[in-house]
Amino acid sequence: MRLLTHNMLSSNIKGVTNGFPLRIEVEKVVEKQVEINHDFLMNIFPKIDWKAFFDASRVMGYVELPEEAPEPSVLESDLEFLRKFHHALLELHLEEGALVCPETGRKFPVNKGIPNMLLHEDEV
Amino acid sequence: MVFISLRAGRYIHRFWGKCTLSLDSFCVFVYPVTFSSMMEIKVKDGSSLCTLVPDGEPHIMQSGSVSEDLRCSSISVKSTPEIEKKYVHRVYDAIAPHFSSTRFAKWPKVAAFLESLPTGSLILDAGCGNGKYLGLTPSCYFIGCDISAPLIKICADKGHEVLVADAVNLPYRTNFGDAAISIAVLHHLSTEGRRKKAIEELVRVVKKGGLVLMTVWAVEQEDKSLLTKWTPLTEKYVEEWIGPGSPRVRGPSPFTLESIPETEENGSQAHAKDSNDSLTENMQQSMCLTPQNADDVFVSKHGMSQQEYFVPWHLPYHRAEVSGASSGALANCLARKDDKKGAVVYDRYYHVFGEGELERLVSGMDNAVIVDKFYDKSNWCIILEKTL
Repeated sequence: MRLLTHNMLSSNIKGVTNGFPLRIEVEKVVEKQVEINHDFLMNIFPKIDWKAFFDASRVMGYVELPEEAPEPSVLESDLEFLRKFHHALLELHLEEGALVCPETGRKFPVNKGIPNMLLHEDEV
Repeated sequence: MVFISLRAGRYIHRFWGKCTLSLDSFCVFVYPVTFSSMMEIKVKDGSSLCTLVPDGEPHIMQSGSVSEDLRCSSISVKSTPEIEKKYVHRVYDAIAPHFSSTRFAKWPKVAAFLESLPTGSLILDAGCGNGKYLGLTPSCYFIGCDISAPLIKICADKGHEVLVADAVNLPYRTNFGDAAISIAVLHHLSTEGRRKKAIEELVRVVKKGGLVLMTVWAVEQEDKSLLTKWTPLTEKYVEEWIGPGSPRVRGPSPFTLESIPETEENGSQAHAKDSNDSLTENMQQSMCLTPQNADDVFVSKHGMSQQEYFVPWHLPYHRAEVSGASSGALANCLARKDDKKGAVVYDRYYHVFGEGELERLVSGMDNAVIVDKFYDKSNWCIILEKTL
């Protein structure tokens, strides 16, 4: 699971008011390189909840991101930032671990990089 | 278009009540299921319900008493009904690798839709199956989800970003995606409430201005012989499932028990059929396969459009052994053996869509408009744009 996905995921358990962001429990992180897609990064940047993204990157062991989100124009001018953004967003994978609902504490397992977000009968 | 008209009476799903290969026992059954927005369902006087009790024997209940199984007002539309667990989820889990090997042809209309999206788009594929469309446009980013963990594993092995999730309850934040696709998914949802919910979810997760493409199997099949290989589910089943809110005409339904000859094959749309079983004389006689006129749709003798089906999937024995799920499925009567074809036969539940049905489902939505709708290769397709 990449942090892009994590930034999108929300606990949809019945009764939960705000299921975002899910807390990350790390057992295994893997880094996999992927080519930079500038258009995509420009498009996705405004959608990202930066605080959740920053916190998640720290939990995954990456400390290079700034705590404050820079202006979007920085993506054009600052190649270094772009590379870090890209790396944290798309190249860090939670292979094994869990995503934890912020309100209920319910753990959604992540195995072989795949989160299982299916709810039990009583959570629906 | 000319369609086949069934005049030979009702057909029922043949259920192996005692897990034997005997053709002697037929039973009419309903699954003890949960379904949505059925508050208005009333059991008619004099009608009786047959529910499946754990030992597999049919059990006739009298009307009037509110069955545990029929309590509806408190059941969430997000709760998975038994019929989907047995005849969608477990089937796909069991057939995943074989199914995936048959799913390679990219449908031009879907490809065209994806290619029309701006570069750098984030595209969500809900019910992505084996991930056929993930990564189709390299300039975009795809996230796929499916309820079948084995299918998702196949996607992940190809390097796609995927998760296991339920299309009726997407775990995504609102307004995040640029576009979403739902290719051959909604027809596996067994109630109108769930189908509506899945559509609402697709619209919810895309941004304002975002597009959603949905395709579903049509009642009006181009290859009419396919329908003869499917098992239509009983009228009684339809009543229990859909309820008075359905636009279908209801009528009295005396049952005629007919045996359904085993001339079946995988009713898949996207790959070339390897063998087209010709209909036996017997079958032709019993089914009266003469098209009446151009206005005929595939209807029961009581004028109701048949939309609920079990569509077989033949899993070759050598594949079944590898997957391992089949011995359990056979023991639990979720599958049967066809020694002639050397395959384990699974039934997949489908609610095929009639013309205009997709439009009807979205007509009540206040945050999406239809921007395109079309019929292509036996599928009804629709494109929505999120407006609010």
